[in-house]
Amino acid sequence: MLRNYLKTAFRNVWKNKVFSLINILGLSIGLSAAFVIGAMVFYDLSFDKFHPDGDRIYRVTTAFKSPDGDFYNAGVTVPLAQALVDLNMEELETVAPFFTTYPLHVENQETGDRFKNPEFVIYTEPSYFKTFEYNWLAGNKESALEEPNKVVLSEERARKYFPNKELEGILGKSVMYNDTIPATVSGIVANFNKRTDIVFEEFISLKTAATQDMTNAVNEANWNNTNSASQLFIKLSQNADPIKVQETLAQIAIEHDEPEMVAIGRSNTYAIQPLTDIHLNPDYGTFDFNDSRTTMSALKSLLFLAAILVLLGCINFINLNTAQAIQRAKEIGIRKTLGSSRKQLIFQFLGETFILTLAAAILSFFLSKWLLILFSDFIPTGLTFELFWNPWIMVGIAVLLILVTVLSGFYPALVMSKYKPVSVLKQQILPNSNKGSLRKYLTVFQFVIAQVFIIATLMVGKQLNYIMKKDMGFKTEAIAYLRTPWRDTSAIKRARFVRQMEELPGIKQVVLSGNPPASFSTMSMGALFVDGEKEVNSDLQLMYGNANYFDLYNLKLVAGRMPLNDSIREFVVNKSYLKVIGIENPGDVVGKILKNDNENLPIVGVMEDFNQHSLKYGVAPMAFTGGSYSGKWTQFRTIHFKLNSLDTVDWPTTISRVETIWKDLYPESDFEYSFMDDTVKKFYESEQKTSILLQWATGLAILISCLGLFGLVIHTTERRTKEIGIRKILGANLFQLNFLLSKDFLKLVLIAFLIATPIAWYGLNNWLEGFANKTTLSWWIFALSGLSMIVISLLTMTIKTINSANTNPVKSLRTE
Amino acid sequence: MLLQLNNIFKWVQQGGQRIFLLKDVNLEVEEGEFISIMGPSGSGKSTLLNVIGMLDTFNEGEYEFLSESVHTLKEKYRSNLYKEYIGFVFQSYHLLDELTVEENLEMPLLYKKVKGSERKALVADMLDRFNIVGKKDLFPTQLSGGQQQLVGVARALIGKPKLILADEPTGNLNSQQSEEIMQLFQKLNKEDGVTIIQVTHSEKNAEYGSRIINLLDGRKI
Repeated sequence: MLRNYLKTAFRNVWKNKVFSLINILGLSIGLSAAFVIGAMVFYDLSFDKFHPDGDRIYRVTTAFKSPDGDFYNAGVTVPLAQALVDLNMEELETVAPFFTTYPLHVENQETGDRFKNPEFVIYTEPSYFKTFEYNWLAGNKESALEEPNKVVLSEERARKYFPNKELEGILGKSVMYNDTIPATVSGIVANFNKRTDIVFEEFISLKTAATQDMTNAVNEANWNNTNSASQLFIKLSQNADPIKVQETLAQIAIEHDEPEMVAIGRSNTYAIQPLTDIHLNPDYGTFDFNDSRTTMSALKSLLFLAAILVLLGCINFINLNTAQAIQRAKEIGIRKTLGSSRKQLIFQFLGETFILTLAAAILSFFLSKWLLILFSDFIPTGLTFELFWNPWIMVGIAVLLILVTVLSGFYPALVMSKYKPVSVLKQQILPNSNKGSLRKYLTVFQFVIAQVFIIATLMVGKQLNYIMKKDMGFKTEAIAYLRTPWRDTSAIKRARFVRQMEELPGIKQVVLSGNPPASFSTMSMGALFVDGEKEVNSDLQLMYGNANYFDLYNLKLVAGRMPLNDSIREFVVNKSYLKVIGIENPGDVVGKILKNDNENLPIVGVMEDFNQHSLKYGVAPMAFTGGSYSGKWTQFRTIHFKLNSLDTVDWPTTISRVETIWKDLYPESDFEYSFMDDTVKKFYESEQKTSILLQWATGLAILISCLGLFGLVIHTTERRTKEIGIRKILGANLFQLNFLLSKDFLKLVLIAFLIATPIAWYGLNNWLEGFANKTTLSWWIFALSGLSMIVISLLTMTIKTINSANTNPVKSLRTE
Repeated sequence: MLLQLNNIFKWVQQGGQRIFLLKDVNLEVEEGEFISIMGPSGSGKSTLLNVIGMLDTFNEGEYEFLSESVHTLKEKYRSNLYKEYIGFVFQSYHLLDELTVEENLEMPLLYKKVKGSERKALVADMLDRFNIVGKKDLFPTQLSGGQQQLVGVARALIGKPKLILADEPTGNLNSQQSEEIMQLFQKLNKEDGVTIIQVTHSEKNAEYGSRIINLLDGRKI
């Protein structure tokens, strides 16, 4: 029986090659999207699931509440760990504080080999290894980090630093960090071989930090300073109530809040973050900055996208198969008179659907491989095609296939198995107007989705174009900047760098200042504006520079004057700050006073607003000032330079000359520079990604919908061959025939447009709300996308209708 | 007694009026009979045949098949009943185009859940008996009308039915092919004792039968 079904199925699939191909293509587009997105979701959700007692491990984090919004920090105040230990709570099994650190280099003391910028180095206590279960290849878990100047290495690092050595033999050898911190290897642990965010490779005993490196941070710890370098893991006892721990932490936070901060609405609180939450929570981040992380909401929208594409494929299938059902009616009638039950027929058709789905799945498998390469920018680096061999993914795919089979096959099977043998065999097939209407709904649904995507793509493109082209308020053209190494505090070197650069022929202007006017790093302070009785408290972003900097970026002063020199604490505020403090005339604010930490800071001028970040956000209140510190803490560590804008050909030569100077002055550090234009572009990376994804989704949605439309048109025109023949004999011309054949479908496209417009308008309006600078939702966006949809569907239809209309009527009437 | 129809009425509602397709039809069929149903177009011949074949329902009356009252049976039992005892032959053959001759013959056996080895034997037997062994791997479209109808009859016979219902079996055939098919029916009826009910327009074909039923406007005359 099964063989008979399979045979019929295969021959049917083969006989209707075009239909089968459309079915398979439509399904495989949705399926491959689902495969890749499913793999991404699986990948991102399978982090840190393998730790024994992983469900009891939490990271303690800090959330700051302030009138300007909430801020999050993955770190906690240093004394918190000790406070928790002192409480001796029965809920806590371990308290494992650690400090992340970024040594410049590490040296194998025996061979003198140096390794630059070792990553994932932390200072921690023995409790860390009680929290996380590592496989100890050498050394002792209990005692390895008890004493200062001990280090536990991961297997990979041990093999890197001590090549060709037995692991046991590495114990007792020493390494030197930054030429000053010696450490003896006291243990070697295996790297985690499953997906994890606990990526640390070198564990130095915390006592080392207290005496030799981060002495300030560790010893002068106070409750007011939160640094993301100081983090804390805890492991709860068996059956402990996390809520109890959370309450205790909240209590501790309240006890140590400063009353004067609370008075102006600022407070902080601790939260416990489950281990598995670390991977997808953008508030606190992970330890590996290089790897761009996705978020739960991004995953959800991707899943939604996959679901839509799969659904579109299923709808295609339902449409084509119910449309085609009449061709199978005879077979159904015969099978029924030969004794087939309805159930058997349903299973037969479901089986056929499954075969097509399977074919689509196989095709999607290859497509997925290609998609993984095509979308490598969007896909985490650890995700490779091999992930598809994971048994869970396999099961997931199997479930998906069955789901798709039922979703797309059940309704056509139900319709077809309903045919009565008597009517079918007498060729009295009922005019299927009622079944046709479901098909119409489904087609409209498909086109609504395609239409919404088209409108969204156009609109997002327009917005992106708008904010990227809009004037930021300062000059970016031909300006680049580089940051001098932050560990190198020598002001003389920086000065020499500037001098040597000024001598280069391709460079017009060189300025040593703070951060560029727009960048990813911001400095800010709480400022109190005092004007007689009036007091306004707010956050004020700071920009450090001098007159040349002002000139280089073409910033405009609207009132008052510039600070007298580079190091004086005089402020030039921007117009947005005037709005905050409620002063309209820029001249009125000059000479007034800002207060910060009981220090009086005079406002000497007002500058024009410019955007400090993506135009998605508005202009923040800002003040321009000279460097407030000198020496080690100076903010003047970024070198800005303007290239000769006319001969861009010479830029690479000029840049390489700059690099030569760098190599000479800072041989330890890597040379990195950015063009201002590139920095600005980077602000819009996420929007650009959205736009690219949207373009793809649109393309696919259009493709699937047009495939479905094409199938339907083939079906109707073939059924109307006779009618076309008769009309032609009666004198209808090509255009009239085409119009006749296309008009019903065009109606559906128009209805879809009417439904799609408000949906798209609503969604895009919401999306645009998130932007401080936005274009208008112009009517032509809608008109253009509606028009393009009509043109696309007309083109799809004419492929078939022209052909039919051209057929010689004698032929079509005879074959009928 | 193979089957018995008592006061069968069948009608459709058209513009508030009842149009009778069958009107008070009574019929008794003994095993081994060869009946021809005749009448002009629209007289209800095919409808009667479909009612007997349980492919169509009726509105009033009683129908007993092998002492089972068909009108009280559920759809599922009814289809079991005709699957077991009735074979159909159609004017336009109604072979499945996607299946070969051999596979077409095999199909009724599949629905009767006959075992594989037995199925092969039965199909081989039937191919042999109808002299179409050489054509077993051809598809219906590769056969002439007469050959297709031969396969149609063979397919109807393969399940060893007690009753064969044939709706104008020779309607699409030329006279020579018609005669062959009619002779085949006669032989089946005489030698194998299969009961046959056929609908026909042709007096000549009707002659092959042992009894003729004339219908006019859904009524037996």
